[in-house]
Amino acid sequence: MSSVLEYLSLGFSVAFTATNLLVAAIGSFIGTIVGVLPGLGPINGVAMLVPIAFAMQLPPETALILLAAVYVGAEYGGRITSILINVPGEAAAVMTTLDGYPLARQGLASVALSLSAWSSFIGSTIAIIGIVLLAPLLANFAVAFGPAEYFVLMVFAFCALTSLLGDEPVKGILAAMLGLFISTVGVDSNSGVYRYTFDLPNLADGIDFVVVVIGLFAVAEMLQMLENLLGGTSIEVPKSERKLFNLKELAFTWWSTVRAGVTGFVIGILPGAGASVASAVAYANEKKICEGKDPNAKFGQGDMRGLAAPEAANNSAATGSFIPMLTLGVPGSGTTAVMMGALTLYNITPGPVLFDAQPQIVWGLIASLFVANVILFLMNVPLVRLFASMLSIPPRLLVPGILAISFIGVYAINATRFDLLMVVGIGVIGYFLRKMNVPMAPMVLGVVLGDMMEQNLRRALSITNGEISILFESKISIALWILAALVAIVPPVLRKLASKKASVPAN
Amino acid sequence: MLTLNDRVLGIAALIFAALITAFGYDLEPPFSYEPVGPKAFPLLLALIIALCGLRLVIKGGGEVEANPEGANVRIATMVAYLAGYAFLFQWIGFIAATTLMVTLIGRLFQATWAQAIIGGVVMSVGLFFLFDKGLDVVLPAGILGDLL
Repeated sequence: MSSVLEYLSLGFSVAFTATNLLVAAIGSFIGTIVGVLPGLGPINGVAMLVPIAFAMQLPPETALILLAAVYVGAEYGGRITSILINVPGEAAAVMTTLDGYPLARQGLASVALSLSAWSSFIGSTIAIIGIVLLAPLLANFAVAFGPAEYFVLMVFAFCALTSLLGDEPVKGILAAMLGLFISTVGVDSNSGVYRYTFDLPNLADGIDFVVVVIGLFAVAEMLQMLENLLGGTSIEVPKSERKLFNLKELAFTWWSTVRAGVTGFVIGILPGAGASVASAVAYANEKKICEGKDPNAKFGQGDMRGLAAPEAANNSAATGSFIPMLTLGVPGSGTTAVMMGALTLYNITPGPVLFDAQPQIVWGLIASLFVANVILFLMNVPLVRLFASMLSIPPRLLVPGILAISFIGVYAINATRFDLLMVVGIGVIGYFLRKMNVPMAPMVLGVVLGDMMEQNLRRALSITNGEISILFESKISIALWILAALVAIVPPVLRKLASKKASVPAN
Repeated sequence: MLTLNDRVLGIAALIFAALITAFGYDLEPPFSYEPVGPKAFPLLLALIIALCGLRLVIKGGGEVEANPEGANVRIATMVAYLAGYAFLFQWIGFIAATTLMVTLIGRLFQATWAQAIIGGVVMSVGLFFLFDKGLDVVLPAGILGDLL
C-alpha cells in the first residue's frame, strides 16, 4: 500500500509540471468541443491528435496526457447537446437525453448541465480510485504471462469486442481480420521477407497506424457527412433562474451517482463493453431501483437521478477502460487502441512491464486523469455557453478544417505524398465498410495488436517446435479460452432469447 | 446501380481472401530457423476472412438504404478533391493546396463563392502559422517558399 502512495506522488509530480497541466487543460478543452459536435466522438478526436502530438515532439507521458484529456473531455462534452437539444453529441450520451432534455424543457437546463458535470466528475473519480487500487495487482498478475498466454488474451479481447459491439458478430470478426491483415504488410521482422509490399518502397515499413486511423475516422466520417447536408444549428442556453444545482439535489442524486459510477467502472474494464453499454446498464439499473422504492420517480420525464446515473457511468467506464491497456497491454476499446498505437510511435509497449520500467508514464497518466477531471468540472460549469456555441460552426468550415488538420498530422509522420494518397484510399474503403455496418473498432484493434499477436503466436510455437498444444497448456490459457468462448456465445444467445420474448405476444 | 448488401460484402471478402492467399502463398524465407514462417499468419487470416465471406453470402440480407439524391455525386466529387489535395500538398505547398481544398469542399457544403474563398485563405494561412510557426510541425511551403 505504501508503494502505491509513493507511485501516486510520483504521478502527481509528473502531472503538476507546468507543461503537463497546460496540456491537460488544452486537451480537456478540445475534448469537450469534440464531444459537443455531433458525429465526432472521442475516437475521432484522439485519432486526429495522435500524429500532431508526435510531430510536436511531446514527450510520451505528455502526449498520453493530452490524448487522455481529450478522451475524458469528449465524454463530458457529449452531454451538452443531449440536454439542450435532445441530440447526443456522441454515442455514450444517448441515455442522457432521456431525462436531461425533459429537465431542460422544464426550465432547468443550467441545473441539469451543472448537475451532470458533477456526476461525471464523481463517476470519473470513482474509476480513478479503482485504477489506483486494481491496476498494480493486475499488472503483477500479468507479468507471469508467456507468449502463449498473451496470444490467448488477445483472442479473448477480440471475442469480447466483436461480440459485445453489435448484433452482427460476423462483421466484427471480418473487421478484426482486416485490421490484423493490414498489420502484416511490410518486412517480416523474423525472416526479412517482404509481405504484400508489391515492390513499393513506401510499404516496406508497413502501413502506418496513423494512416489507417485517420482514413477510417476522419476521411470516412467526413464523406458520411456529405450524405445529408445540414446547416449549422445555433442553440441558446436558456437563462434559467438557477445556474447551479443545490444541496438538496446533490443529496437526492448522490447514491444513484455512486452506484452508477461503480457499475460504469466494472463495465469499462471489460474489453469491448465501454461507455455506451455502461450508461445504458446504469440507467436501466437506477430506474429499476428507484421506481421500486419511490412512487414519485419520474424516469423519462426529467428525473434528476436518471440524468446523473448515465453521466456518472459513461465517464467512469471511459476512465476504467484504461485498465486493460495499461496493465495487460491489450486495449479493450477502439479509443484506447488508438492511444496504444500512439505509444507504439514512441516505441513504448504498454503492459505489465511498463509499471516497473517507466512508472512516470503510467502513474503520470493516472494522476493526470484526475487533474483533467478537476479541470473539466471547473471548466464545464462556466463555459457551457461557449461550448454550445461551437454547434453554430457551419459544416462548410468544419469539414475542410478537420480534413486539413488530419492531413497535417499524416504528413508530419513520414512527409510523403504516398501516405496522404493512402489515407484517401483507406477513407473510401472505410466509408463503404461503414455503410455496410462493419464496425470500425475491431479493425483498429487489429492494426494495433496485429504484430504483437503474430509475434507471440510464433514465439509460442517456436518453444514447442510447432506443436499447437502449447496454446492450451497453462491454467491461465485455459481459463482465457473459456472466457473467450463464454463472451463469444453468451451475449448473442441472450439477444436471441430477448428478441424471442419480445416477439411472443403477452397473454 | 449496384446496391450494397451483405452478399456484396461477402463476395468482396471472398475476393480479398483469395488475393491474400495468392500473393501470400509463395512467401518463403531464404532460410528458416523457426517452425512458423512468414506466410502462416496471413494465410490463417485469409481463411477466417473467407469463412466470414461465405457466411455473409449464404445469409444475405442487410440491404443498405440508398443515399439521398445527389449524395453519391457529392461524395465522389469530394473523394476526387481529396485525392487532388493529397497530390498537391507537398508539391504546391500547404497554403496553396489547403486554400484550394477548403474552397472547393466549402462549395460542396453549399458555401457561396465569397464565403468559400475567404474561408480557404483564412484557414490555410491560420493553420500554417499555428502548426508550422507555432507548434513546430514542419509543413511544405511549396510555391510560396520565398515568401515564408
